[in-house]
Amino acid sequence: MILFKKLILFFKRESKLFYSNIVDLFSNILFFFLSVFVFVFALGTDEYLLKTIGVGVIWSLLLLSSTLNLRKFYESDFENGILTIIHMGGFSLELIVILKIFSHFIFVQIPFLISLPIAGLFFNLPMHDVYILFLTFIIGSLILSCLGSISASMNLLNRTNYSIGSIIVLLFSIPLIIFSVGINNVDNSFNSLINMLFGICLIFLGISPWASAACIKLAIRNK
Amino acid sequence: MFKFLINPSRFNKFTDIILKPLFFITSLTLVVGLILVYFSPLDYQQGLTVKIMYVHVPSAWLSLLTYAIMTIYSIIGFVFKIPFGFIINKAIAPIGAVFTLLCLISGSMWGKPMWGTWWVWDARLTSVAILFIIYLVVIFLNQTFESRDLREKIVAIFIIIGSINLPIIKYSVDWWNTLHQPASVSKLSSPSIDLSMLQPLLVMTIAFSMIGIIIAILRIKAEILLRKKHL
Repeated sequence: MILFKKLILFFKRESKLFYSNIVDLFSNILFFFLSVFVFVFALGTDEYLLKTIGVGVIWSLLLLSSTLNLRKFYESDFENGILTIIHMGGFSLELIVILKIFSHFIFVQIPFLISLPIAGLFFNLPMHDVYILFLTFIIGSLILSCLGSISASMNLLNRTNYSIGSIIVLLFSIPLIIFSVGINNVDNSFNSLINMLFGICLIFLGISPWASAACIKLAIRNK
Repeated sequence: MFKFLINPSRFNKFTDIILKPLFFITSLTLVVGLILVYFSPLDYQQGLTVKIMYVHVPSAWLSLLTYAIMTIYSIIGFVFKIPFGFIINKAIAPIGAVFTLLCLISGSMWGKPMWGTWWVWDARLTSVAILFIIYLVVIFLNQTFESRDLREKIVAIFIIIGSINLPIIKYSVDWWNTLHQPASVSKLSSPSIDLSMLQPLLVMTIAFSMIGIIIAILRIKAEILLRKKHL
């Protein structure tokens, strides 16, 4: 019962933090739309071309814009010692990582969903494609949250090389983008590919708590 | 007996003994291998370009083997708290990167006359390219953090996570329909490669791995000396 109360308090705090700097999320979404515009200007406005490459472009731009503010995943909590305090309050670091991943998924990635249909509108995507994009993004964004947790916790004490965190996320998100874009391109393989996506999601949900927890433990020890 | 694999001073003693004979054996196998490659028969389809295979295949095998060794040593170093594993991780990552690059370059040199392009977006090729990027990230991470203890452990965690790629590379030719030919030597029942081509391939593999071992020994010795100086 106490654990349940603590969990509610944790999510309350996360939502308060989220609403206090909601502008950050909006500027992230704005970046996504601007990059869509830049892409369209670079390719020309041929409707058929945009329709064929639309899903892939939207997915890759989503990936890039979600790596933008990954450093904030743990950094503020780590700097002011909240992580240590929560850990002392009876949560193991692995549990904290799982909670953080889910709060990042709920408060950062789910609001991103509102931008998907509008982006699909710009590329003239058919309704069916947008629907599948929605489904794949819900699973894929959970994977992205796991990867973000891994790379952010690896780079907690990294003061020199800022881009290596984004490199790590992009590196491990290659299978994600292959399968999630492949759903639209390959006919009659919806079930098998969505099962593959679920499988990748489960793998990363299994890996990321202990990897991030080990990194955070190292960072706390070396602070 | 195998304590030299996890103990730096034993390692130094052991390698001091074997280093000079190793130089001799390596040069011998390399010369013999090159002669065998020179006299090996031409392929009836590929002609002379089949000889690129004698560089391509050993370096591909060794790139995978180096990563597997790094994974094992990261697990040893991280779980059993043996720091020698981290020394080896740092020392042999560039060797693996060079072997992977050699594999990619020789492969694309073979691909230009045979397939008609330098690069195909094929499962095997792409996964090996990702392996190369993983090696580069390992090398970069080794230069990044200030505290050495933190750095080597984070590199070990990254290597363990990145080892997901190894089975993908190995089975990529079986899982997907690729342009790259499937494994022909390691089929247990009967290798589908002729003996006259298998012999130089194996000799070249031994020579390549000997070269890798010599460079690795020298790099590990240098790393041990560096750490002793800092302590």
